[in-house]
Amino acid sequence: MSDSDTNEPRTDGSGPGIVAPDDEVPTWRERKERTTGLSRLTYEYFERARREDQDLRQESSYVERDVLGFPAWPHETIRNLALASFFTGMLLFLAAMLPPHLGDPANPAETPSVILPDWYLYWSFGLLHLDPINPELAIVGGEKIMSDELYGVLANVVTVGAIAIVPFLNKGSARRPVEEPFWAAVGVGGVVFAFTMSILPIQDMFPWAVAITFDLAFFLPLVAAAITYAVLKTMREGYMYDLNRRYYRLRPPK
Amino acid sequence: MSLERKDEYDHGAWLAEKDLSIIEKTYLMTLIWLDKRLRIVDYLELLEDMYYKINLQMPKSHTEQYNLDNKFWYWYPLYALGSFSVIAYIVAAVSGALLGFYYAPSTAGETPEAYEAIVAIMKDLNFGFMLRSIHRWSAQVMTAAVFLHMLRVYFTGAYKEPREINWIIGVILLSLTMLFGYTGYLLPWNQLAFWAGQIGVEMSLAVPIVGEWTAQLLFGGFSLGQPTLIRMYILHVFVLPFVVTALIALHIGIVWMQGIAEPH
Ligand code: HEM
Repeated sequence: MSDSDTNEPRTDGSGPGIVAPDDEVPTWRERKERTTGLSRLTYEYFERARREDQDLRQESSYVERDVLGFPAWPHETIRNLALASFFTGMLLFLAAMLPPHLGDPANPAETPSVILPDWYLYWSFGLLHLDPINPELAIVGGEKIMSDELYGVLANVVTVGAIAIVPFLNKGSARRPVEEPFWAAVGVGGVVFAFTMSILPIQDMFPWAVAITFDLAFFLPLVAAAITYAVLKTMREGYMYDLNRRYYRLRPPK
Repeated sequence: MSLERKDEYDHGAWLAEKDLSIIEKTYLMTLIWLDKRLRIVDYLELLEDMYYKINLQMPKSHTEQYNLDNKFWYWYPLYALGSFSVIAYIVAAVSGALLGFYYAPSTAGETPEAYEAIVAIMKDLNFGFMLRSIHRWSAQVMTAAVFLHMLRVYFTGAYKEPREINWIIGVILLSLTMLFGYTGYLLPWNQLAFWAGQIGVEMSLAVPIVGEWTAQLLFGGFSLGQPTLIRMYILHVFVLPFVVTALIALHIGIVWMQGIAEPH
């Protein structure tokens, strides 16, 4: 019972469509070499990269591909899972001990005295309260260039954007704060800034002038950054000595 | 003439010539049956590889490698903050799915129906109070963990080459986590929710050109109501879960590929 005995069309997908490869059939590599345009470029780059890798491997001084990091498996993953299971228990305990609150139902007619988002948006909410520093242009007759609301929205965008481009501003192989006191100071300043911004929406509630709170909100982060910078600079020598002795001797920084 | 081909891979004949116990035979028949359909053999190799990775001697940890006398154990919780975010996210997803069975995104009625649903969950539903509590707290804790995770990445310089992409994915994840929290905050449709939503509308309206369009898209108009709630609901239970889950998978996949930045 073979199909070739009958003249009926075959619908099982078999037939002469698929031919076993013989010596004439181009290999994968040959196909790739024949491509043009972008795929050709991709192919060439991959070939170069592969050759580079291979040359590196064959160099006598070369031991292993430069270590980018510690493998996530097994130490990191197992340790994290262990810590995280404990952490889940803490989370459930917290949920059992501190029940959530449910206020009054929504009422568009009645504006509450305090409007607040959840705590993690306080900083963002604070950035909406920057109207005292919204610049005025003399040319436009002292008018503000943009509305205070737009200024607040832009402040949010700028903040998130600034965080996003950090890897492109701070380069190099230094990792620890002592190695780069400046960037550690920027970080500490940023954290303190997030807290002081969170205070801005309730700036009326302090028993001193609003302007003082507002100025402090910008001054305190600078103070914190300055202190961080000073402390790390002072610690630096001894700490780096220790690091060099214990660590970089084995893996000198680039 | 038989349809069955007779060749060296005739597993039936191979089985017959072996003297197997009933258990072995059943096992092999099942394996062959499944392999014909699922090509298990291809995957077996992967399993084998995993088996050896687990059972062979552990590779040296970095503290052993650099002879650091395990001095740094007290930093470990900081390196687990990413995992904490994942775990809290999973807890929130499970408890949120359960809450979803009893919630209705509707502002209809004297007291909004959504608000009533939350009250019913807390008062009438068995374990409902705890369920809402777990969902709230896992959300709070996830956000906190994500912030702290970002700080640990910053202060250990782990965002530097070649990890810039993961940092940017992280910034997106942070924003989406906060958006997750914000949309969820609006769902009970209580006073806090309503006026937080009001701020959102005002923020989008302040933006020139695209502002009104954004307000229409995200909040369903310039004042809050049923369209707002349903949009927040869809964002919270449909759009964000998919996007955030995919991004977390990508983020962790990249960490898996690149390894954890040294030193600890
Ligand atoms: C939903 C939120 C997030 C989840 C679930 C998450 C998860 C993780 C996990 C599990 C790791 C492995 C290492 C560790 O646990 O420390 C990691 C590493 C990393 N994360 Fe995140 N992350 C999140 C948000 C962020 C944010 C907001 C940033 C920064 C803006 C970020 C940047 C990074 C970077 C650069 C690494 C690599 C660090 C290294 O190799 O040491 N992630 N993330």
